[in-house]
Amino acid sequence: MSSADILTCVDLAIGHGSHVIMDRLNLSLPAGKILAIVGPSGCGKSTLMRALGGLDAPLGGTTTLMGVDLNSAEGVRRQDILRQTGFLFQGSALFSSLTLRENIEMPMREFLKAPRQEIRQLAEYKLALVGLADAMDKLPSEISGGMAKRAGIARAMALDPTVIFLDEPSAGLDPVSSGRLDELILRLRDAFGTTVVLVSHEIPSILRTADFCVYLDPDTGTMGAYGPPKSFLQAGQPPKVHAFFSQAHFD
Amino acid sequence: MSHAPTGLPFARTDVLADGTAVVTIGGAWNLDSALPAIAIKGDRVKVVAEELTDFDSSLPAWLYAHFKNIRQLDLTALPARLQSLVQMAEKATFSDTHAHDTGFLEHFGTWGVESGSSWGRALEHIGHTTLGFLRMLVGRAKVNWADFKLELQTAGVDALPIVALLGFLTGLIMAYVGLIQLRLVGATVYVANLVSLAMTREMGALMTGIIACGRTSTAYASQLGSMNVSQETDALRALGINPIEYLAVPRILAVTLMVPLLAVFATFIGIFGGMVVACAGDLSIEQYLTQAVRAITFKSFLVGLIKSVAFGFIAAWAGCYRGSVAKRSALGVGEAATSAAVLGITFIVISDALFAVIFNLFDL
Repeated sequence: MSSADILTCVDLAIGHGSHVIMDRLNLSLPAGKILAIVGPSGCGKSTLMRALGGLDAPLGGTTTLMGVDLNSAEGVRRQDILRQTGFLFQGSALFSSLTLRENIEMPMREFLKAPRQEIRQLAEYKLALVGLADAMDKLPSEISGGMAKRAGIARAMALDPTVIFLDEPSAGLDPVSSGRLDELILRLRDAFGTTVVLVSHEIPSILRTADFCVYLDPDTGTMGAYGPPKSFLQAGQPPKVHAFFSQAHFD
Repeated sequence: MSHAPTGLPFARTDVLADGTAVVTIGGAWNLDSALPAIAIKGDRVKVVAEELTDFDSSLPAWLYAHFKNIRQLDLTALPARLQSLVQMAEKATFSDTHAHDTGFLEHFGTWGVESGSSWGRALEHIGHTTLGFLRMLVGRAKVNWADFKLELQTAGVDALPIVALLGFLTGLIMAYVGLIQLRLVGATVYVANLVSLAMTREMGALMTGIIACGRTSTAYASQLGSMNVSQETDALRALGINPIEYLAVPRILAVTLMVPLLAVFATFIGIFGGMVVACAGDLSIEQYLTQAVRAITFKSFLVGLIKSVAFGFIAAWAGCYRGSVAKRSALGVGEAATSAAVLGITFIVISDALFAVIFNLFDL
């Protein structure tokens, strides 16, 4: 762990209620890097992401985000850190009574002092970035699941977050759109130095975008490997990790 | 043209001899700062950076907003990362995005067609409900009888306190108003006739129907609307189960059975409410009850009963119908609940007027 690390966890235990599903999780992520969380279904990928983002309290150990332990931080300090993060949830979690534009404008109105016209301009730009310039005035119920995912990403990017958490961003997208999304994530990182943490099953996408990857092993209840994703394809990795990546990459 | 020193964002426009507008941007651009305004003429624009110290997404957003419709836009003089952020917004095309602008005429036409089709859908739902009942009678419908038993409790027994309160107050108010008028002609004894007849023929059924709309109809619209949102009704269809038979029929049946019972209860409580006012003033209990029993005929009772059956059906149907066509959003569920109450009460009042004409024709 170094001072340049924007996100760390030490001996982290996560789970539901008092039931621990993963423990002894240790990782650190430098700023401006992309971390992918992978593993079999139900192994706790989304739970780990929520704990790293400070949405759920861990069952043990500590996590820090931008140098702050969110579980002990309270009030304005906690609010200030959370304001610098953006979340895309698995089901997109768009506000169903608001149009896509209003969904993106909502956090801007809450936190920015910019005039209405500039907020509108920003929201239109963010939606255009994810290819939804023509669907701004639609309600979430009027768009497809893939479009809702992208609108969710636009909302997560609304306040130019320092760290962005994406839960299965490519789910529901066709391969071409998925490729465009990878490009968007890389450009955001390159342009603004945004740190990205994403949960994904798309191994080719992870190989394209991620700098680091953590594999969660449900059999041992802890991380099976942590490192650059391309290294997982090489010999010398734990057989289970190598098999998971090779099979998925082959598929 | 605007220019601000000390790092504030600025933009200025110069026009070259060949008509190209050169927009110079600079300063520190961030989400909280006030952004400059510029006016662009022509369709050839070159953007250059000068003392551009810092920027976040407010700058590409500003560039995108101002130059997205410019035919010849030259951004090559900008930093590469800024260029890519503007170009990405311009070129972002995903395969499931449909560009479609609707004009006023199309909006108006769509409104007309949708208004017509909503009545069509209502009629279709009534038809399916009727078919559902017929299939239930011949034992071919898959009806959720657990829901039926539960609804007898929630729509019927649980409504007793509110029905009692409103029935009592209705009778009380009628007696009070009636006494004021009848006292003028020395016929206060007929207040018992007024209250008992009105409660039996009209108010018992009407008040109970309206309570059912406010209480049960909205609940059904919310329940079925939420099931629509979470695709539970689709899951039923996928299992080969008709949602109207499975969800709507038991609810409508339960309410159609319970509202007449509640209406009879409301009628007696209303007559009692009238008695409290009448006996507090001019009449004795014996006088009031004798007059009330004389006034209520079997025909009056039957009229009230028929109406309450119809009102119960309308209240439950309105809730099930609006719930089944609710939009798949939190807003849609709220709209469904509101429109169920409005639709139910409107139909109850309209049908009450129709009943008045029909019963008059048949001398009931």
